[in-house]
Amino acid sequence: MKKQWTAFFMLLFVLFLAACGNANDEQTVEDEGDKNQESEETRVIKHEMGETEISGTPEKVVALEFSFVDNLASLGVSPVGIADDNDKERIIEPIREEIEDYTSVGTRKQPSLEVISSLQPDLIIADMQRHKDIYDQLSEIAPTIILPSLAADYEGIIDSFQTVSKAMGMEDKGEEVLAEHQQKMEELRAQVPEDEDRTVLPAVVADSGYYAHNMESYTGSLLESIGLKNAIQSGDDRYNKINLEQLVEFNPDVLFHMSAGDETVVTEWENNSLYQDISAVKNDEVHEVDRNMWSRFRGLISSEKILEDAVQYLYEEQK
Amino acid sequence: MNLKKISPLAWILFLSILTLLGAFLSIGIGAVFIDPAVILHYFTGGNVENSGFIIGNFRLPRIVMCLLVGTGLGISGAILQGVVRNPLASPDVIGITKGAGLSAAAVIILFPELPVIGLPIAAFFGAGLVTVGLYLFAFRKGVQPATLALVGIALGAICQAGIQFLTIKFPIETNAALVWLTGSVWGKDWGDVWLLAPWILIVTPITFALAPKLDVLSLGDDVAEGLGEPVQKARLLLLIIAVLLAGSSVAIVGTLGFVGLIAPHIARQLVGNRHAYLLPASALVGILLLLLADDLGRGLFPPTEVPAGIFTAIIGAPYFLFLLRKLQKS
Repeated sequence: MKKQWTAFFMLLFVLFLAACGNANDEQTVEDEGDKNQESEETRVIKHEMGETEISGTPEKVVALEFSFVDNLASLGVSPVGIADDNDKERIIEPIREEIEDYTSVGTRKQPSLEVISSLQPDLIIADMQRHKDIYDQLSEIAPTIILPSLAADYEGIIDSFQTVSKAMGMEDKGEEVLAEHQQKMEELRAQVPEDEDRTVLPAVVADSGYYAHNMESYTGSLLESIGLKNAIQSGDDRYNKINLEQLVEFNPDVLFHMSAGDETVVTEWENNSLYQDISAVKNDEVHEVDRNMWSRFRGLISSEKILEDAVQYLYEEQK
Repeated sequence: MNLKKISPLAWILFLSILTLLGAFLSIGIGAVFIDPAVILHYFTGGNVENSGFIIGNFRLPRIVMCLLVGTGLGISGAILQGVVRNPLASPDVIGITKGAGLSAAAVIILFPELPVIGLPIAAFFGAGLVTVGLYLFAFRKGVQPATLALVGIALGAICQAGIQFLTIKFPIETNAALVWLTGSVWGKDWGDVWLLAPWILIVTPITFALAPKLDVLSLGDDVAEGLGEPVQKARLLLLIIAVLLAGSSVAIVGTLGFVGLIAPHIARQLVGNRHAYLLPASALVGILLLLLADDLGRGLFPPTEVPAGIFTAIIGAPYFLFLLRKLQKS
């Protein structure tokens, strides 16, 4: 029996040793805290997870969602770190041109905290849905604000932009950019005739299914804002996986397909006479659009680009 | 097999040393490589600037988390295999982790506004609910091991169906839930460690005291009864303990598969069937598996983090197939 307890104590010993590492750590955290306290002017930013104090103009900013990259680029700020899913191509052209070289901090789903901390940022902007669980850890690295991106509609995106510009200490610049953006949106809206009654439906088409974005989704609400009615006005979800029969039922007049991969469900549907009967297919109004721009970015620049795309597809081609 | 010639205690000593070594080496591995010399400097109280921040805030909590979860899942699996007397038993098979998974996925997807602490509570609650279900359906004046396994599989399948339903119904929100459903020690901090540590550190010693009961139970009900062991009571007690260990572990790190299944098997190859050796050995093997999985997840494709659950499955599944073939032959 004695021997058996030895085995148990060995295990306890291992666990105990590990716990020892702990004691050291607390001090480190406090040290870091002191450094951040020297500040010029501080402002308190309210966000989804509470309030965060930010001082001065953050120079090194890490963005954990694409929409924040867009927000920063709109303000003329180049983030030092981006969770770009390890694929620089995911950053859409017009924004890639705006920003300088950055360090990838991994995937948006699980950004590498270690890389983020090694960049020693002054501000981290993260998404409510993906990153609320790591808010505490991000806050230990740098002041962190958590904003809705993944689950936001167009208005939410505008709100986020305003919060970002406040956090950056660039409220005036933000107002300016926003005014410009709104003017551009007005111009785009003007290109949509008053009597436009066609319904549109943006959707991600993947191998795994057809994901329709309804009127409350980001892309859907954006198109609605310039008078393009979404084909799906109902539904409790912003993003719905629908089948061919439902698509036929909604019968959109214009389809914007964001394709993920070459082989998608639509490849199969195309041989189906039901699909051929959909108004958009009959009228040749099925448009392939860039998924990165149309769905992943969710920002000011991308919003403008999406609408430019849409207006071009809908009105300029015929001329 | 000549592996068996080495005494169980020597194996456990060897595994302990390996675990400590593994834990130490793991500190250096990650998107930012840290030199062992720097790590030593850190532990002796030296100032190593940002490396210290990374070690103290990210690496150590993860590694301690691996120690706790490896222990919890490893021992839970060993107990379940002893209680159910079936080498296929594990927290996954018996539905515990699936129950935690369903209730966690429901919370992530349906109540995104809930504070962060809600998730582990919900997951633990889910694991508990499945156990109550197990008890209601399987226990009628006692339980047969086979019934327990079958009911567990059925309950697990129901929960799995629920998870599938949620992922299909809410494709976007599922994204956030997926990380949890694969199981990962990514993003775990000291707060999480303190949440889990009491469970594991209190329950584990109890299991060692119960090791002789497990030995007797694994002889079969008749023999155990003959030896004066109140079989049904002992079985229920052990089941509850297994659920506490696995449920609390899974509540924090998500539904990490295969560790609870594989670790006891590997341990059994090394130290034999006596539970006084098997339990600590299972814990140590569980820890080693998890450390390895997380090191790979952190270090293989930086800065991309691969959930440890993916690697435990990659390591675990082939080993399990190998094991099944071996069992067939004998």
